[in-house]
Amino acid sequence: MRERRKGPISRAAGIAEGVAATMRRIQRDREPRVLLYDESGYARLLQPEARGRERVLELGDEMVRLLDEAQQAARRARRAG
Amino acid sequence: MEALTPEQTPARLCELSADARAAVLLDAAGALAGSSEDDPDRARALGEMTRELMEAVDAAGGEPAEQVEVQVPGGAVYASRNPRWTLAVVARRSALSSLMLWDLRAVLGELDGAPPIRRAVAVEPAQDGPATEEAAAGESPVPELGAELEP
Repeated sequence: MRERRKGPISRAAGIAEGVAATMRRIQRDREPRVLLYDESGYARLLQPEARGRERVLELGDEMVRLLDEAQQAARRARRAG
Repeated sequence: MEALTPEQTPARLCELSADARAAVLLDAAGALAGSSEDDPDRARALGEMTRELMEAVDAAGGEPAEQVEVQVPGGAVYASRNPRWTLAVVARRSALSSLMLWDLRAVLGELDGAPPIRRAVAVEPAQDGPATEEAAAGESPVPELGAELEP
């Protein structure tokens, strides 16, 4: 069971720990990653040393950038005319 | 009700999911069968990259993956495949993985003849008499799945 914090300093430290944990989680979620799912929905994380992982990430990034560029070009065209 | 065609499938996925930016469908040979993109060059490029991505996934070894999720700084790419088709989508960073993967599988199912998926709908109150325990026992505990709406 989690120990109950007593006193304002202890409570402030508890809040800071919570914020730090949330920031770590957000940071982790934003890290590039590749997940492979089998038929039953079981997920497997492709490890950094796995063959093909870098290429998969590169292609994913290229696909996102292709759409970003198209969106920016459309925005520019709208503004121009 | 008209069946979904390969050409319509990517657009159907984008219509279902607000976080889908663009989608492409490849056939078993890896050829582009449909795209939500109007621009043919962009559609072809996305199709080509999807094909390469699935090849790279297969090169990683292990059990063959049915679905793939690629998270990159600017967004995410999800793909789902069956023996006949591969459907891939470029999604916003905010997309929920479980929902995207579910939508991909559901739309591929529609293409193969499964009934179209529905979002939650309000269930009309019963018109034929007062509510009884017997009637309640026959109801689905999850009405949005539509069990009561079946004929």
